[in-house]
Amino acid sequence: MRSLSFVQRVCLDFTGSLFPHAICLGDADNDSLNELVVGDTSGKLYIYKNDDSKPWITRTCVGMLTCVGVGDICNKGKNLVVAVGAEGWFHLFDVAASTGKVESFSLMDMDEQKPYFTQHIPANTKVMLISDIDGDGRNELVVGYTDRVVRAFRWEEPQDNTDLSGGQLVLLKKWLLEGQVDSLSVNPGPEGLPELMVSQPGCGYAILLCSWTQEGAASPGEDGSNASTGEGPSRDLILHLTTGRIHNKNVSTHLIGSISRGSKDDDSKGGLFALCTLDGTLKLMDSSEQLLWSVQVDHQLFALQKLDVTGDRREEVVACAWDGQTYIIDHNRMVVRFQFDENVNAFCAGQYACKEGRNSPCLVYVSFSHKIYVYWQVELERMEPTSLQRVLEERPEYTALLRKLGVDPTDTAAVRKLIGDLLYRDSERKAELPQSSLNPTCSV
Amino acid sequence: MLPDMKGSCPFAEDSFSRFPSQSNMYGLCQAGDQELLAATLKGKVVCFRYQDLQQKIRPVAKEVQFTYIPVDAEIVSIDAFNKSPPNRGLVVGITFIKDSGDKATPFLNIYCDYEPGSEFNLESIAQSCLNLELQFTPFQLYHTELQFGEGQRETVFLLSGHDQRIHLYKENASLHQFEEQPVERFFPELKELPSNVLWLDVLSIGDGRRLTAFGCQNGCVGLALVNQRGPEILQSWRLQQDSPISTVSLFPLKLPAHNSNTEGLHAHEVSEVTEYNLLVTSTIEMAVVYRDVERCGVSRLVCLSDSDQCDAVVCALLIDLDFDGQLEVLLGTYGQDLLCYKFQQPVGAGEGQFWLMWRRSFRSPLLSIIYLDLTGDGVKELAILTIKGLHILQHSLMSTADLVLQRLADRVAKLSDAPKDQPITKQDCERTTASTNDGQNASTS
Repeated sequence: MRSLSFVQRVCLDFTGSLFPHAICLGDADNDSLNELVVGDTSGKLYIYKNDDSKPWITRTCVGMLTCVGVGDICNKGKNLVVAVGAEGWFHLFDVAASTGKVESFSLMDMDEQKPYFTQHIPANTKVMLISDIDGDGRNELVVGYTDRVVRAFRWEEPQDNTDLSGGQLVLLKKWLLEGQVDSLSVNPGPEGLPELMVSQPGCGYAILLCSWTQEGAASPGEDGSNASTGEGPSRDLILHLTTGRIHNKNVSTHLIGSISRGSKDDDSKGGLFALCTLDGTLKLMDSSEQLLWSVQVDHQLFALQKLDVTGDRREEVVACAWDGQTYIIDHNRMVVRFQFDENVNAFCAGQYACKEGRNSPCLVYVSFSHKIYVYWQVELERMEPTSLQRVLEERPEYTALLRKLGVDPTDTAAVRKLIGDLLYRDSERKAELPQSSLNPTCSV
Repeated sequence: MLPDMKGSCPFAEDSFSRFPSQSNMYGLCQAGDQELLAATLKGKVVCFRYQDLQQKIRPVAKEVQFTYIPVDAEIVSIDAFNKSPPNRGLVVGITFIKDSGDKATPFLNIYCDYEPGSEFNLESIAQSCLNLELQFTPFQLYHTELQFGEGQRETVFLLSGHDQRIHLYKENASLHQFEEQPVERFFPELKELPSNVLWLDVLSIGDGRRLTAFGCQNGCVGLALVNQRGPEILQSWRLQQDSPISTVSLFPLKLPAHNSNTEGLHAHEVSEVTEYNLLVTSTIEMAVVYRDVERCGVSRLVCLSDSDQCDAVVCALLIDLDFDGQLEVLLGTYGQDLLCYKFQQPVGAGEGQFWLMWRRSFRSPLLSIIYLDLTGDGVKELAILTIKGLHILQHSLMSTADLVLQRLADRVAKLSDAPKDQPITKQDCERTTASTNDGQNASTS
């Protein structure tokens, strides 16, 4: 297995402790550059920007923060920071407004430490997702709970409202699952419509159906498009258990969906999603339940992310273990390993504008030593090791040039010598030959 | 701290192998064409290579079981060479200290297989051992080629020790084994050393002459110009620095000739000369290059600025990493940085300078660097031993492929320009393109 050591990293100060889902990367202030948002167990919300080791913005919330997120939850074309506590307090922060970058209105007079909006939702939150789950083009908020419940909410406000003060979260649906929900994700189904997926213990997953789209209880703005799932209203979720190795039925499982295939054509075939378990199973599947690959590792995987490290717009699967071992796996099952040198409290991967004023693929590790390590510019030319000859063989003019020189492209030894000559001959000749015989007169 | 550099490292890491125990600055060597050996302190030797499987290559780091290395041994140094023609075979030397409680005993093991067909097979070489007990604590194990009259050549081991001496081990062809020979017989310049030698370098410079340089624990650097026939010391120099010398390296640089005749030549003709330089890296002071040592001895020194800013310089390597025909200086430091300096031709009558081009950080201190073609594609890789393990750094394949294609196209262009009256056999064509391309490369550099 190919293994690498990334070295470009910055170290951020973080003295608290956090839940594994209380960390995310996103564009919190709508400047098209991503920030790192972290919430701790004492209710403090930290937003880090660039490579500054101190938080750029600190906010105080009520209760223990279990999940944080960045997204256009109010469907106003503007990202807000969301922080949800275990006790059920939902907080919204408009970071851009409070830093005065966007036109300020009356809310600027408020205490900056105060959230923009708070609401109490059912307690015991665990995971959160901001995404369009029913295909209406508007984002919903989905919250997973420690008591195996998942609830979907929608932001609703009076038509004539200009700011957020009149709006609130409205419960859309509640699902009850058999097992613990460790991840929430959205994946395009075979028909291209988004499907809400949740992980289930033992490398399983469930698809939660958005029944309100069938019942016609559509929110304003929906164009009445129907999901063609055809399921009766009595069944609102479809449980899938993946086959293969016998799993510990109760092993904690994570899931991530909408893994980009790299081109628009391929995306129409339905989405790719990955699963990982604490006992080291990793799987990549597509929405028609076809297994693309499965990898077994001997590390306890507790976080699953996606990240394009090769720059080909195909996203790789990134899984992290408690002991810092990190696996980056592409769609062809090529694995690159990286060992982070400490135990990991929480992990996330994504685009972050750490240096040079641009987003780059980053791996973020929260250690147990009061530090967050951001490995920035985690970019690889390719996933699999390769030689120069293979790269050259992909160039159209290469074989023709070799033939013109009378070198057989299949004669590896001759090609190797020729390439070595082309690249090094000058310098090596000088070192080997006696000085007296060195009398090159060159034309310029 | 160092200022921010504009240039960035042109290498990308292709693999990292973590070692169970750390190594040291003598712990890495090339063994054969496409393999390297790395020795770790706890008696383990790892062979690293790329395996070619179904049109794919993958890195493989495998432990080689060298025989007669006890479990409680701590490896000090490792070296390997291919025997000089016409002899065949790979020779591996490993020095270690066996510490069995009360008394530590140092050994030199030399591995070499004489069985026809297995001379290059590492597994079988590792089983045929010559075990020599040493009377001194070993340091660097080095090899160099001796040139006798009549063009005869033989490669020998040179081992420095804490007894302020360098020991020479030469093959006794009739007995099929290596034995210690008095070093003065072949290296009169290595007689009566001022201190323990930490690093030695020997460079053949033609006309049957060689340059020998060594750096000592007490900061002394010795340099000698020797006629290999004899052998006879033509000239020798000593200089004293204030801290232990970590490495010395002799290397050539090409320079435009400072010749008054150049005026008379056609404007587009520039003659070049090769001068030999000595790089001295020290554990505290700045690294220094002594220019043109063959003619000027140690009188013309150029400092590598900021090379003392990253803790001790532990290892150094001179390679042409931008393929322009001129060597660049790589320094590996205990401060976890790899520094690259490039020689800038002097403008007018001024001295040339070495400019810091880029630096690359690692996660642990650097110990040793070598440059070899591990992937077997003609372009070499940089192997860097750090305290945590072995990093393989590969040239950016995209830009190198562009360069190869461009130079291929140049060759083809030259070839089609050449007169076609002669029958072009493969070898002929190689030769003519080689000579014509010479000018091409030089002009692009």
